[in-house]
Amino acid sequence: MNVLVVDARYQSCPGPLLKLIEAVKEAKEGSIVKILATDPAAPEDIRNWAESVGYKFMDYKMVNGMYEIYVEVR
Amino acid sequence: MSKLSIILSSERLDRLYPALILASSAASMGWSSEVFFTFWALLALRKGYEPSKLSSDYSNYSEEFRGKVGTSFPSWREMVRIGREKGLKIYACSTTMDILGVKKEDLEDFVDGIVGAPTFLSKAKNSDIVLFI
Repeated sequence: MNVLVVDARYQSCPGPLLKLIEAVKEAKEGSIVKILATDPAAPEDIRNWAESVGYKFMDYKMVNGMYEIYVEVR
Repeated sequence: MSKLSIILSSERLDRLYPALILASSAASMGWSSEVFFTFWALLALRKGYEPSKLSSDYSNYSEEFRGKVGTSFPSWREMVRIGREKGLKIYACSTTMDILGVKKEDLEDFVDGIVGAPTFLSKAKNSDIVLFI
């Protein structure tokens, strides 16, 4: 399974979002994007973004004070 | 498709940044998004000029703010660049250009058009969100 990692740590809105859209430009349908972020708004921002563009917001978790957010490319 | 129209009237960073953060976020979400640079905002669209003014009321935050630009969040030019790849449109106010003596060739290449109020009003008429910043 293809996992694309986007490092958006220490970035605040719209940083994580803009990094994410740059990264998924070449992403194939079905691949998973794992976004690393420290911005507390990032999980919801990315959830809303995914909903707007038709990607699947899978899950997010906090690991060592950092968010790991998973989105499936559609 | 949702649409955001912003009328930006100041080149001050504490106006420019909120406008571009909202406009580029909207564009990245697949919305139709546009910013109309009028009055002092037009100053920011000139080639070879970098806006740097910040509201003097909040000058004690100036250093913190300037330190975060380009690190913690992208510069306004980056937001314009990425936003435009996703359809963001940047418009310059024709009347302001006349008032300030700015010519078409003085404007940055990322300006998508020079328009007057009726044209921008027609564009913004059916937007879901219209903001004056």
